[in-house]
Amino acid sequence: MRINPLTLKKIRRFRSVKRGYYSFLLFVFLLLQAFFAELWINNRALLVYYEGQFYFPTYRSMIPGSVFMLPYEYETNYRALQKRFEKEGGDNFLIMPLVPYNAFEMDLQESKFPPLPPSITDRHFLGTDAIGRDMVARLVYGFRISIIFSILLLVATFAIGIALGCLMGYWGGKFDLFFQRLIEVWSSIPFLYIIMIIASIVVPSLTILVLIYVIFGWMGMTWYMRTSTYKEKARDYVLAARALGASNLRIIFHHILPNSISLIVTFVPFSVAGGISGLTALDFLGFGLPPPTPSWGELLQQGTSNLQAAWIVSSTVAALVLVMVSITFIGEGVREGFDPKMHSTFE
Amino acid sequence: MIFKILQQALLAAFLLSPGPFSGFAETLPANIKWLSNNSSPIIASPNAKKGGTYRTYMTSFPLTLRTVGPDSNGGFASYLRSNQMSLIELHNNTEEIIPGLATHWAYGKDGKTMYFKLDQEARWSDGTPVTADDFLYTLEFHRSKHIVAPWYNNYYTEKIDRVIKYDDHTLAVVTTKADPDLFLVANIGPTPKHFYGELSKDFVRKYNWKVAPNTGPYQIDAKKIKKGKSITLERKKNWWAKDLRNNKGRYNVDKIQVSVVRDQTTVFEYFKKGRLDDFILTFPTYWHEKAKNLEIYEKGYAKKMWFYLDQRESPAGLYLNQDKEIFKDAKLRYAFAHAMNIDKMLNGLLRGDYSRLQNYSTGFGKYTNPKIRARTFDINKVEELMTESGWKRGSDGIWNKGESRYSVKVTYSFDGHTPRLVLLKEEAKKAGIELRLQRLDGSAAFKSFLEKKHDVAWMAWSTSFRPRYWQGFHSDNAHKPQTNNITNTDDPELDKMIMSYRDSIVPKERIALAHKIQEKIHEIGSFIPTYKVGYLRNIYWRWWQFPEVPATRDASFLFEPLANGLFWMDEELKKETEAAMNSGKTFKPETIIDKTFLVN
Amino acid sequence: MASYFIRRLLLVIPTFLGITLVVFTITRIVPGGPIERIISQARQMDQGTSGGSSGSQSAQPDDSPLSPEQIEDLKKFYGFDKPILISYFDWLTKVLRMDLGVSTRYYDPVWAIIKDKLPVSIYYGLVTTILSYLICIPLGILKAIKHKSFLDSSSSVLVLTGYALPGFIVAIILFVWPAAQWDWFPLGGFVGDDFEELTTSEQIWDVIHHSVLPMIAYMLGSFATMTFLMKNTLMDHLASDYVRTAIAKGLSFRGAVFKHAFRNSLIPLATHFGNNISLFLAGSFLIEKVFNIDGLGLLGFDSLVERDYPVVLGVLVISSILGLLGNILSDLCVALVDPRVKFE
Repeated sequence: MRINPLTLKKIRRFRSVKRGYYSFLLFVFLLLQAFFAELWINNRALLVYYEGQFYFPTYRSMIPGSVFMLPYEYETNYRALQKRFEKEGGDNFLIMPLVPYNAFEMDLQESKFPPLPPSITDRHFLGTDAIGRDMVARLVYGFRISIIFSILLLVATFAIGIALGCLMGYWGGKFDLFFQRLIEVWSSIPFLYIIMIIASIVVPSLTILVLIYVIFGWMGMTWYMRTSTYKEKARDYVLAARALGASNLRIIFHHILPNSISLIVTFVPFSVAGGISGLTALDFLGFGLPPPTPSWGELLQQGTSNLQAAWIVSSTVAALVLVMVSITFIGEGVREGFDPKMHSTFE
Repeated sequence: MIFKILQQALLAAFLLSPGPFSGFAETLPANIKWLSNNSSPIIASPNAKKGGTYRTYMTSFPLTLRTVGPDSNGGFASYLRSNQMSLIELHNNTEEIIPGLATHWAYGKDGKTMYFKLDQEARWSDGTPVTADDFLYTLEFHRSKHIVAPWYNNYYTEKIDRVIKYDDHTLAVVTTKADPDLFLVANIGPTPKHFYGELSKDFVRKYNWKVAPNTGPYQIDAKKIKKGKSITLERKKNWWAKDLRNNKGRYNVDKIQVSVVRDQTTVFEYFKKGRLDDFILTFPTYWHEKAKNLEIYEKGYAKKMWFYLDQRESPAGLYLNQDKEIFKDAKLRYAFAHAMNIDKMLNGLLRGDYSRLQNYSTGFGKYTNPKIRARTFDINKVEELMTESGWKRGSDGIWNKGESRYSVKVTYSFDGHTPRLVLLKEEAKKAGIELRLQRLDGSAAFKSFLEKKHDVAWMAWSTSFRPRYWQGFHSDNAHKPQTNNITNTDDPELDKMIMSYRDSIVPKERIALAHKIQEKIHEIGSFIPTYKVGYLRNIYWRWWQFPEVPATRDASFLFEPLANGLFWMDEELKKETEAAMNSGKTFKPETIIDKTFLVN
Repeated sequence: MASYFIRRLLLVIPTFLGITLVVFTITRIVPGGPIERIISQARQMDQGTSGGSSGSQSAQPDDSPLSPEQIEDLKKFYGFDKPILISYFDWLTKVLRMDLGVSTRYYDPVWAIIKDKLPVSIYYGLVTTILSYLICIPLGILKAIKHKSFLDSSSSVLVLTGYALPGFIVAIILFVWPAAQWDWFPLGGFVGDDFEELTTSEQIWDVIHHSVLPMIAYMLGSFATMTFLMKNTLMDHLASDYVRTAIAKGLSFRGAVFKHAFRNSLIPLATHFGNNISLFLAGSFLIEKVFNIDGLGLLGFDSLVERDYPVVLGVLVISSILGLLGNILSDLCVALVDPRVKFE
């Protein structure tokens, strides 16, 4: 693929904004670890060596305990198995991930009751939540879900926004006027209300939530695209292209869209941030994804009602601050890099 | 014209209600055997002192001060209802009948009528005497369309036939059918006719914030209602019933101040800062975590109390909808019950404070069949039952058979129950059953239950004086929406038992039937009992005093200023404690544990 | 220009109708309204103890669900007996007569309920708007003049952090630490419970003490936008030819900043004014929920949770009118600050 030199220049400019660039690296790292979280936060072993055979339980269907001569048919408890192997002292061994818990199981221990404080020996590095689930696991898997949510949302709103915005700006006239009114009405509807109403009668799945969010959130992007198309349309090169007999489609796809891309790119980080904070707010209020889905909003809710277990609210808030601030810094960097308007300084 | 309308209205009133006109025609039957009770055990302390203010909270401001009509069933309603006495009262511990507004009562031979002699002293809070007319009016009032309370409309039409007035202080209440516990049905309360008068369409609005006269120990101080913030009730200094045998030493505080505090965290902070008088520690996390090592307790300024109850328990549990394919097979229902690790929930999450509910009807004395034990978590039994029905575990460990997979939706409405359900879900997975949790808001959840749209309902019905089965388990109420048989239980044998139980008025027979019905319900297995709480726990400032047995058998709260009214404030102790808090002097920390009513 | 504003004002009407119609329709088709609440209450009472009189327990189950006629009566009582469009127009004509209806839960006039909350909202709305301008304008200027200095970049980090966090998270942070853990501030509420017993000066202190944290949560989000807007436009103007010319002609740098660039840089900020004011007035129910402030936002939230639709619609009417007028107000501000702007 040949990269447009202009784009290269923009990327170089983005890299020169240190705050944004390092945030970007950090964020990429966060994404990677979250998408491969099963490898470091999981109650399934990474590797089991049992009676001369290797097992890799991580990404396959569950292995019932009976395979390892345990008296049950449900998923093997690998932590217990590890202890057994150690006690037996034979050749059998297994390797657990760094955090040997998943986001759902409750670690209910003898004579200790959740929430458990952070402990390195138990490998609850950030403690557990109010019902004994590992905080690291809840945070990371919750992050993964909110990122998936935000990306789905981003793709959908951008698709609608770009398509509709382009048409509005390009066609103008009655079409434009009608959608202008519609957007004005639509954006004045308190859409969190709507979500709350819907969430109280059906349990929203991820798809339903994205759908609702899209239905009430496509306007922003559309509006910007409309304005941008409107401006580009009036530019000389478009007039020239038209004079040369270029079709409408060609004008839109070859001339207007590429020139609006930089605008679109600058909105990506902010849209992701919006998605994360939206989902967190809904979960915080109890109108989001159904339990036991790991979620930051739910952790915040737990944390604020269990102030004595300060590790819950502290680590959730810290994670939120880290992610949101880094996204914002990326956004700031992208804007500086991709927005052709440079701020000149007075010397 | 106007005259004509008036005439018609009068005529209608005459025909429809047994109003004041019909009363004089009746004469009291001869040889009535009047009963009374002047020897019930005393529950209050002779040392109780009057005075002080009890400060408590409500989570939201009441939507109305009416006791009927829309939204009259909120949390504050109990303050209003407990101040409305009825003809007779039931003793809190022994449940024997004791005088209320009536000093004497008698049973009619038809099994449907009860006669009452009113206390001559009985007064409304505005000083008007309580007379038989107020009971006639109760019927007229509750049958009126204007109160927008269809439930009461029905109840007072279908349960109570009429009220007969013999003279100002003698009356009879006639019910529509003979009842083994007639005293419960016939025991109605008066309604102040002089206050409401003729009802009209604007009743709901007009009386929404009016303080209606009452007959109980306290009355709301209308001047001290701060909308959205607080309501204060004041003790009637010359309450007509204050010297009744059962009332001495009760209802001690001068004022009850109920303020709005929205959430538990803030309530607890307010209590610690001394702005509230007590804090409920029933939840295990509160008793074991939040109230542990509390400075005010360690220094002895506040005491803790753990009081065990012996009460009728709500049937709290999982209700399986037998119209769903999966639950048509009894074995699969049993397997479901054996897949619920209630014990781990109780011991691991709730610290063993709550206990397992064994039976649909628990705590009903002789009516409870003690032999019934709930099914316990047992994966082997699940395996056995499922294999017998021809199911196999899939690659994810969940049972399946052909196209079906043992995955069911559990619908619930209270946020605080999420952890408990999450635990059950994780444990059920081991047994090969997948639970999908669905939290809906209260009315939406209840609606889906009544429409029988749920797979499994996580809920509890409230209790009644005697166990009741017709609504919950009779086939008349199965397979159709808007009925309370949410398990869609449809069993001819059970139907027969329920009908005989309903029609019988012989207690012994009813008890035997109740036992059999409970066995049958257990056998059907569509209800899986979960837990009962069985105790009250509080922390409170040390100047609050209680009788030797601090509360009654089935108290709802330790500090129950109206239903029990047993506690009082010791002014001296309060001064002493406050001085100590200033000077830094400490007392010995104290926890009272009362097992008077503990049942095992 | 007058004709432009008249046209803008006229356009408010269809928009307002659109918003209210959509929400009105939703409240009608969604289950859980007052009638369903009464039906389910009747059901629960059937099974429950609260029947009969005076809390005595009824002995036998009662076998009558509500009859269709009774439900019909209830519908009439709550005005649910007509088709959506007709009842919408009924509602609308009432609104035009300044009658927002009666709450289906408190049975008080909706307007009275809203009026009760208005002082709180106005207080927060005005103070936050004024404060954010008072802070952002000087900060923006400072950052523009000292562009790329340590002061600039460190304040950028701070401001951006505030911007990154959603308001309610800031509210939670402030609630958990300064209020609950460290006891520096009260645990929410608009004023303390003993407010009426305080002297005037104590009362003022009480209000301030209670409002510091929510104010911060409210403002933090708008800080970044406004500060950067101020900074960036000011820098643009400072770099522009007319400022250079002025300086070349001997005007001091200070003079250039404050006489020329500053005034022109206020224009984009002015476009925010109307929005800010309506935004703050309508409140954020999340922040109000965390701090338990009895404002319009919380009222909207509570009434929604409790399905008190007349109040939901009432709050919507107020907040959408505020929002729409806010937009026009912004345009007016621009016209006032910038004599070159001509709206057509």
